[in-house]
Amino acid sequence: MPDVLALPVSATRGRQGLDPRTKIVLVIACSIAVMSPAGSRFVPFALLLAIGLAVVEGAWRRAIGLPVVAAVMWLLGWLLPVWWPNPVTAIVSIACVYLIRFVAAIGVGAHLIATTSPTQLAAAFRAWRIPRPISVTLAVMLRFFPVVGAEAAAVLDAMRLRGLIGVRGLLRHPVLSVERFTVPMIAASLRASEDLSASAILRGLGSRRIPTSMSPPRFGVPDLIVVVLVVAFAASALLLPAPLA
Amino acid sequence: MTADAGTRALPETPPARRGLSLRFSARDLLRVALFAVVFVVVTYAIGMLGILSPLVWLIIVLVQAIVGGVTVMLFLTRVKHAGMLTLFGIVVALFYLLSGNTLLSTAGIVVLALIAELILWAGRYRSKWATIWAYTVFGLSFFTPFLPLLIDREAYLASSSWTQMGEDYVRASDTLLSAPVIGGLAGAILVASFIGGLLGSAILRKHFVRAGLA
Repeated sequence: MPDVLALPVSATRGRQGLDPRTKIVLVIACSIAVMSPAGSRFVPFALLLAIGLAVVEGAWRRAIGLPVVAAVMWLLGWLLPVWWPNPVTAIVSIACVYLIRFVAAIGVGAHLIATTSPTQLAAAFRAWRIPRPISVTLAVMLRFFPVVGAEAAAVLDAMRLRGLIGVRGLLRHPVLSVERFTVPMIAASLRASEDLSASAILRGLGSRRIPTSMSPPRFGVPDLIVVVLVVAFAASALLLPAPLA
Repeated sequence: MTADAGTRALPETPPARRGLSLRFSARDLLRVALFAVVFVVVTYAIGMLGILSPLVWLIIVLVQAIVGGVTVMLFLTRVKHAGMLTLFGIVVALFYLLSGNTLLSTAGIVVLALIAELILWAGRYRSKWATIWAYTVFGLSFFTPFLPLLIDREAYLASSSWTQMGEDYVRASDTLLSAPVIGGLAGAILVASFIGGLLGSAILRKHFVRAGLA
């Protein structure tokens, strides 16, 4: 069907959000900057970026949760050991000083995971010539996530209903608790995945032909805005005095 | 193909043996994807169970290493040819990277998966003990988030405000993050993942084989 294929792709879709490739690069850049030894000066800006992305995306729970978690980490990591110096608060503080980096990086990563559809991710990987087994598997993982997550939540609910959850139970019968959670969850996920697998294979997943994409990755104005923003953030992170040093 | 890098060095085997072919069928890819997702979700769910304090965090890492064994052991019963465990490691590592983990831990997980793949290969993808040892090695992936601390501790912790926090603080951080303690954590994770492998194969026998799922 040459005439169908010849349709300009930009006409067939409403463009919104960032290009998946921008998001991937953004996540990796943030994680490298934040996790590097001198990364604490990047943490506030990565957090700002993560919150901004959450607001643009409309994910209010993340937009509020991130600053709250970061504030708690900051309280425990920087203020608590000054107010009340002893070995226990010191250990807590060390852990929080380290974990706040993860909060910032994971906040940016959550945007990628939440806003990228499996097909978009696969198209982005194809554009980068990433080997097929890896790109297909990662894209399928994105699709499986809500399914397996729902099964896990259902099992946790059932356990809660029967009073099987809790740190005490976990410590008293560790093997039993592990068994009660993982076995039904894995079994249910396997069952749910059967249908998805059959449908995916039916729709040509894993065929060796290169598929065309309904929304091929293209860079646009939002990507430009983010790049400018990131450059500004990186510059100010390097030039301004670091608050968390 | 990166997924095949770990197995490229394998000696030539007769083509009749499907056991060592490197071509992934669509079903293989889906299988790897499903178990990778289950692995990640179980890890996060256990993490959620124990978000109480950073002190519990260390125990939780051990529990994660044990529980991961159940998933991986079940996955390994379905692996009958080379490269699948490597692919599993690569996608889990990349997924962690995309959700905001460190580059160092991603590289670490891929290396561990390659070593585990070699162990599996030594067991010809049939041996039960090879799968247990392979998971023991792969379980060290739970240690990888701590790698940056091991490599550049001084830069992480030497900052102006740390000296203000008093002697106690500096001493505690020195002992807590010294090489022996972090090495001990790695050892504990290794033991935990060995237990996880054993537990995984026991649970497999008890539940999944009986239900026809393994």
